[in-house]
Amino acid sequence: MDCRSRLRSRSAVTEPTGRDKAAAAKAAPAVQAVTIDSFIAELAAFRAAASETLGGVAGAAGLEQARIEFLGARSGRLKAIQKLLSGLASADRPAGGRHFNEAKGAVNALFAAVQDTLAGAGAGSAAAADAIDVTLPGEPLRLGHVHPITQTIRRVQEIMARLGFESVDGPEVEDQWHNFEALAIPAEHPARDPLDNFYLAVARGADPLLLRSQTSTVQIRVMENRRPPLRIVSLGRVYRPDTADATHYPMFHQVEGLLIEPGTTMAHLKSVLRQLASSFLGGDVHVRFRPSFFPFTEPSVEFDMEWGGRWIEMGGAGMVDPAVLAAVGYDPEEVSGFAFGLGVERIAARRYGVADIRDFYRNDVRFLRQF
Amino acid sequence: MIISTNWLSEYVSLPESTDALVERLLLSGLNHESTQSVGNDTAIDLEVTSNRPDCLGHIGVAREVAVLFGCPLHIPEPHPQEVGAESAANIAVEILSPEICPHYTARVIRGVRVGPSPQWLVDRLTTVGIASVNNVVDITNYVMFECGQPLHAFDLAKIRGGRISVRRAVAGESFTAINHKTYALTAGMGVIADAERPVALAGVMGGAGTEIAAATTDILLESAQFAPLTVRAAARGLVLASASSYRFERVPDPAAVAWASRRAAAMIAEIAGGQIARGTVEAGRLAVSPATIQLRPDRVAEVLGIDIPIERQQAILIGLGFVAEPGGTDRSRWQAPTWRRDCGREIDLVEEIARIEGYDRVPENEPIAARPVTESARERTLHRATEVLVAAGFCEAMTRSVVGASLEALASPWGDVSPLVCAPPLVRGADRLRRTLLPSLLEARAANVAIGAQQPDLFETARGYLPRPAAAPDAASPVEEPLLVSFVMGGGFAAAKGLAEAVLERLGLGGSATNEPHVVFRQGHLDLFATGRAAEIVLERPGQPAERIGVVGEVAATVLTNFGLNVGAKGAVVAAELRLDRLEFAVDLERPRSRPSDFPAVERDVNLIVDQTVPWGDVAAAIRGSAGGLLEECRLVQVWTDAERLGAGKKSFVVSLRLRSSEGTLAGEDANRTVDAVVASCGRQCGAVLRA
Repeated sequence: MDCRSRLRSRSAVTEPTGRDKAAAAKAAPAVQAVTIDSFIAELAAFRAAASETLGGVAGAAGLEQARIEFLGARSGRLKAIQKLLSGLASADRPAGGRHFNEAKGAVNALFAAVQDTLAGAGAGSAAAADAIDVTLPGEPLRLGHVHPITQTIRRVQEIMARLGFESVDGPEVEDQWHNFEALAIPAEHPARDPLDNFYLAVARGADPLLLRSQTSTVQIRVMENRRPPLRIVSLGRVYRPDTADATHYPMFHQVEGLLIEPGTTMAHLKSVLRQLASSFLGGDVHVRFRPSFFPFTEPSVEFDMEWGGRWIEMGGAGMVDPAVLAAVGYDPEEVSGFAFGLGVERIAARRYGVADIRDFYRNDVRFLRQF
Repeated sequence: MIISTNWLSEYVSLPESTDALVERLLLSGLNHESTQSVGNDTAIDLEVTSNRPDCLGHIGVAREVAVLFGCPLHIPEPHPQEVGAESAANIAVEILSPEICPHYTARVIRGVRVGPSPQWLVDRLTTVGIASVNNVVDITNYVMFECGQPLHAFDLAKIRGGRISVRRAVAGESFTAINHKTYALTAGMGVIADAERPVALAGVMGGAGTEIAAATTDILLESAQFAPLTVRAAARGLVLASASSYRFERVPDPAAVAWASRRAAAMIAEIAGGQIARGTVEAGRLAVSPATIQLRPDRVAEVLGIDIPIERQQAILIGLGFVAEPGGTDRSRWQAPTWRRDCGREIDLVEEIARIEGYDRVPENEPIAARPVTESARERTLHRATEVLVAAGFCEAMTRSVVGASLEALASPWGDVSPLVCAPPLVRGADRLRRTLLPSLLEARAANVAIGAQQPDLFETARGYLPRPAAAPDAASPVEEPLLVSFVMGGGFAAAKGLAEAVLERLGLGGSATNEPHVVFRQGHLDLFATGRAAEIVLERPGQPAERIGVVGEVAATVLTNFGLNVGAKGAVVAAELRLDRLEFAVDLERPRSRPSDFPAVERDVNLIVDQTVPWGDVAAAIRGSAGGLLEECRLVQVWTDAERLGAGKKSFVVSLRLRSSEGTLAGEDANRTVDAVVASCGRQCGAVLRA
């Protein structure tokens, strides 16, 4: 046991403990009377002697000898002075206790300082025995990892939430109305070709079901059930029969935003996308529109974001087509709105520098632990 | 669509810089794919969206350039010199299936000399990626790439019976195309037939039997309209896409049928010689009925958020071929040109004005008002479950929703209804919409183990797909999509149960009080799990029937063997799945929070001997039911059996009870009373005896 801790364990004494009193009573039934002045003088002599002795200590053996002489629990000089306390007049005892503790603290501190000095000087010998090889490995704490696709979705969700867009969810197995008709994709449209969709073998009555090919279906469902104003982000898995390669996978994720409020213009769309781009990429990012064609928006655009001095394709957007507003029972003369969509795999691949999006679905923990 | 700049400059003067040209086209709707030098020409590959078939010909692109750069557009007006007999004297044309062909025209040219094309023609076709065949075929291709209307030339001498019929193929018919491959036609495909056999697949490809050859002298020139869906079905069905089918699928300008026929006839006569018979033989009719579109003066600003002067709006529309309806002075009523079937509504005109004016004018600093957002219970449930599993060191996996039949059949914790089947398969052999995530995660674990990845403990949050019975109420979706969280890990049952409990606790279901929603684990069975080594997790809510919301267990050895995971030294694999959709309510439960007591606790260990068959859950319930308000924690320290010391068929539960009062330091007698009550209760309810 370390001497210092032994000393400390008893250092808080202001009055002799009950056991000390009992021991003292047993050893000396008649207490010798002492004046406060002689008690203080005793203490001063003790401090001076201890200081001198400890100052001359040269090694561990000498230190231990000094400890026993001055601070020893059984017959140390401090112990002897402590016994004198009970001989003080009761009115003097509090003052005597204060002086006693002060002297004790000072000698203990001196002892500790000398001990530290000796320990420092002896490094490489005795102290090295329990020194730590700090280059040994730490005990590993296994950290879990959220999938990079989920991280990307959450990031877009968070940014859009700050802009007042609420995340919504809907079924992945859809009917013709929500996946096509309400989105102004008529029966003869090539997008409905059986080879371009995952139709299910069961139908609901005459209405074939399919795995949704876009999350716009959720927007239709929300619009059918709620009135404007509306700001939502729909997100989740979508399915299209593409042959899997470095940039395609038959199952992927979309995040789509929708805002329906009176007086909405393309300037609002561009501004919201710029804020999304700036938050997502960091810094003041600019957005560019290129005209495009989607059945459910008019005008329709592709939007690019400026990234590292280049324009990067991010997704599609546009003003919600009046036919779509009418299909869900809104009056296109009263309200207008915009919609946009992002392919999550594409922006995740770009953000993390992943060359092949199939890596996102290999579930190799050595890959996943990098995110 | 590949554009030759030499060719394009025939209709419009181009800016000096090709980069400036493609940049402007890119920002007005013709995406730039690539630019390449071909000889002294430049090939620009443009991506044309499906609504713009007019830009599948050089003239359409030239019109865009003219309006974008404000320069005039020159479209040639062909004047074929018709002589001699009527075309109709040589051939009869009938449309038997008008739904696949609304309009068909044929023209006869006699006495042509088939041979090589002049160099300029070869060069232009080379630039757009078309190999030269002979002068007649090259001219039909040239006109297609000029105006977007596909044409076909037949060798008139090889058309049998002097008759062209447009009809649907009958089952069993076959057809040898000009690529000299023979195709078995399916009933319903559109064909051009002579009196005996199909001579062309309508809108897709001509036939080898009537192709233009060196010996050909008389030509039948076809210019027609074909229904997009029929063309598409045939091209996809036979995997025989062509530049022609590509255009017909997108519906070319109906008015171009006549123009293209005249243009090609004039060029053939000029380049290959021959005499153009009088007139054309026609069947069906050209159906063009342009709608009148009202454009309100303020509409552009209302949609775009920018002002564009009315004169500029009108100039753009006129440049694109729109015609202001006569009568009105404000030019607010417009007719779309025949080549712009995509424009029929006011919003379409707004888009035309916007894309030509340029979206760069739309500002990007228009604020939207702030609006509060709350996260749904579903989102919070999902996030909390994920949080716990990530904290436990798991990686989130993403596996396919659609899997192979044998994998899918491994387990179905949420009902026995057959899985849904999709076509085509998601990937080869995977056509079942999974009802549980567990087999997919086992498969992912096996792949990780096979590659030597360490500690591949995975979880996933995704949906299952459970078809509802046919009798389900009409309002409900025909498919239930439970939101599931599953995990698969190495270790024993207790590890998986502990993790499942941690997830449930984080979702607000950590309590055991019977007057609050809580879960209990019951012995259960699932095919995936080893017999007797699995539990079902049951949600109990006051006033509601108990409901199974989870399963947890050790994966059966036979299953592990199938996945190659049965390496004995690696220990057991355990798995669990929870139905998060049934637990969303819990994140919103109001729970009173209390200040912990500052008084010291008293710990008492009791050693209870019970029959081997008594489950811990019964003993725990007896303890909790009898300990009263002082019980802070009841912890099972050890379970042990020893026939000699405890007796055969007996086991011992060593239980540590921590007791604490919120009112004062607990006296030894109070603690003893509680322990006595607990021991008595365990004796009554479970036959437990205190071991001395």
